[in-house]
Amino acid sequence: MKDQVHSIGYRRLPGERPHRWVPWPIARTALALAWRKRSTKLGVALCLGSTFIHGMVLTTQVLLDRYVGNPQDDFRRAALESVVGNVHTTFAVFISVQTVMCAFLLAMVAAGLVAEDRRTGAMELYFSRPLRRRDYVLGKLLAAGLVPATTLVAPFLLLWILVVGMAPPHTAGPLLGLLLPGLLGTVVSAVMLTTTILGLSAVGERGRTVAVIYVVGMLVLSSVGNGLSDDGQVWAGYVSPLRNVQTISDAVLDAGATGMLLSMLASRPETNPSALISAACLLFLSVAGLGLLLWRVRREVAG
Amino acid sequence: MLLALHGVSKRFGGLQALHDVTCELDGRAVGLLGPNGAGKTTLMRACLGLLVPDAGVVKVLGVDARRDPGAVRMRLGYAAEGPHRIPGLSGLESVAYAGELCGLPRRTALLRAHEMLDLVGLDEARQRPVEEYSTGMHQRVKLAMALVHDPELLMLDEPTSGLDPGNRDELLQLLVRLRDGAGPAVLLSTHLLHDVERVCDSVIIMDRGQVRYAGTLDGLQHRLGHEELELRGEGDLAALAHALQQAGHAVAPGERPDALRVRLSAGHGSAAIWQAAQAVGATLWQVQPRGQRLEDAFMAAIHSPPATNGRQSNGLVPPKGGAIPPGGAA
Repeated sequence: MKDQVHSIGYRRLPGERPHRWVPWPIARTALALAWRKRSTKLGVALCLGSTFIHGMVLTTQVLLDRYVGNPQDDFRRAALESVVGNVHTTFAVFISVQTVMCAFLLAMVAAGLVAEDRRTGAMELYFSRPLRRRDYVLGKLLAAGLVPATTLVAPFLLLWILVVGMAPPHTAGPLLGLLLPGLLGTVVSAVMLTTTILGLSAVGERGRTVAVIYVVGMLVLSSVGNGLSDDGQVWAGYVSPLRNVQTISDAVLDAGATGMLLSMLASRPETNPSALISAACLLFLSVAGLGLLLWRVRREVAG
Repeated sequence: MLLALHGVSKRFGGLQALHDVTCELDGRAVGLLGPNGAGKTTLMRACLGLLVPDAGVVKVLGVDARRDPGAVRMRLGYAAEGPHRIPGLSGLESVAYAGELCGLPRRTALLRAHEMLDLVGLDEARQRPVEEYSTGMHQRVKLAMALVHDPELLMLDEPTSGLDPGNRDELLQLLVRLRDGAGPAVLLSTHLLHDVERVCDSVIIMDRGQVRYAGTLDGLQHRLGHEELELRGEGDLAALAHALQQAGHAVAPGERPDALRVRLSAGHGSAAIWQAAQAVGATLWQVQPRGQRLEDAFMAAIHSPPATNGRQSNGLVPPKGGAIPPGGAA
């Protein structure tokens, strides 16, 4: 039987092979492998659940204004304030909750992307192919980056479109001003989460260990930062990545939104005093993660 | 020209892994032979551009591996030693993925993966995750992964290590089939002489980072064989050995107690042995040229002085590195 199989013989591949963009197969395969794990499916389900719940809350808030809102001028402004203010608060909560969930999901999907490649010898397998270092790095960044893109950035956009689309005309206008701060917050979160997990994965030995360190680290930094900051240690707020993201979003909201929108906000999240320092802290985390990834790949392979 | 190495050196801390390696290789199947730690894997990694030599030039299929490693790897198929794998992927997915990494479209890569797995004889197991594979199946998958993009040169690092005799035989048979058919040229790195003898027509022998021999297998086998005689007899063979040594001939114990291996000094024939036997009163019933085995030739090459600037002191490698013409002598 085996001899018959062997007798097929070797066939040369006909035709020229055009250069193809290989980061995509790398990312696709990494995501396909992650999807086979039950924990990943659970993480995705949690993210979807969170998006659904926030979507329901936002829908309720907007529809209340449409159907229950008092058309009289005296009450109109009060109703508007309650709806827009609440929508803003819900979005702020959504971004915070979804960032934490996304960190959990990333830990399941991306913690082993580089660490496991090193442990299993797959790194040599990759680089014995006509693969450049940047292809590998881009492939891994794409794989990890798609997770927050689909569970954080895209849901925010969807929810915002949902809210603005359903809102009555007098409310839709002010709600447009929430797009830029929210989008910036989610994108900054996505970049920070992606680069830090890959940086940790690049220095770690096992995916599981990296995942635990990443999740625990994020939670500890966020809670310590918030806790100390609330106790008067203002500098500690910059330690919390989540608080830094909120600070940047809030600064953009202040800078870009109309006075009307700002006057309607019921509450604002706790933020750091300086958006610039918050941005610098997040930039440091991202650059450190990316630097570790590049350093590792450069160290593993010469060309 | 498959490989052209000129003055390649590489040092890892205090270890000189490659020292001024110079040789040129051509042919359908070349063995890279040497004991563990000889520098074979380092040389292969330098050919792939996975490490940059401290000095020297490595050209693979005419392309400088340092300047354009991507072009080299596109034309090379490499199967590393050890269980390199991507856990979670099946054998089929691993091979198809390797094809995609080499630029094949997804569908083509999948079809080609099936074809290569048929070739290496991995049947239903191709759908199972690779971490469940035996060593033999692993080696087959690695071979299929190295072949999937249709390379011009197949580089295999210890492909038979850890295989049972049956699997080893099948793998070597497959390599012979590739060599004799339309498959790529084969560069087989191993420390097993039998593998090289079975598959290769030429060989590079390395030891402690230096090339000790580069040439055809026939050239290696015949080099010492014509000069050595094996004699068998009875009587005082120790005295006979002493007498022959006194006369300037090299004598070594044979494989049996009643045998001696003698290498006569220049200008002497077998008559010198008969005369010496007569003088010491030993009776000989056999004096014949000893067929030199590959193991002996290998050991002789290993123990020969190292080459400098591409020159081998034993004269086995020509000054310009020992270009091996296809099927020709060194």
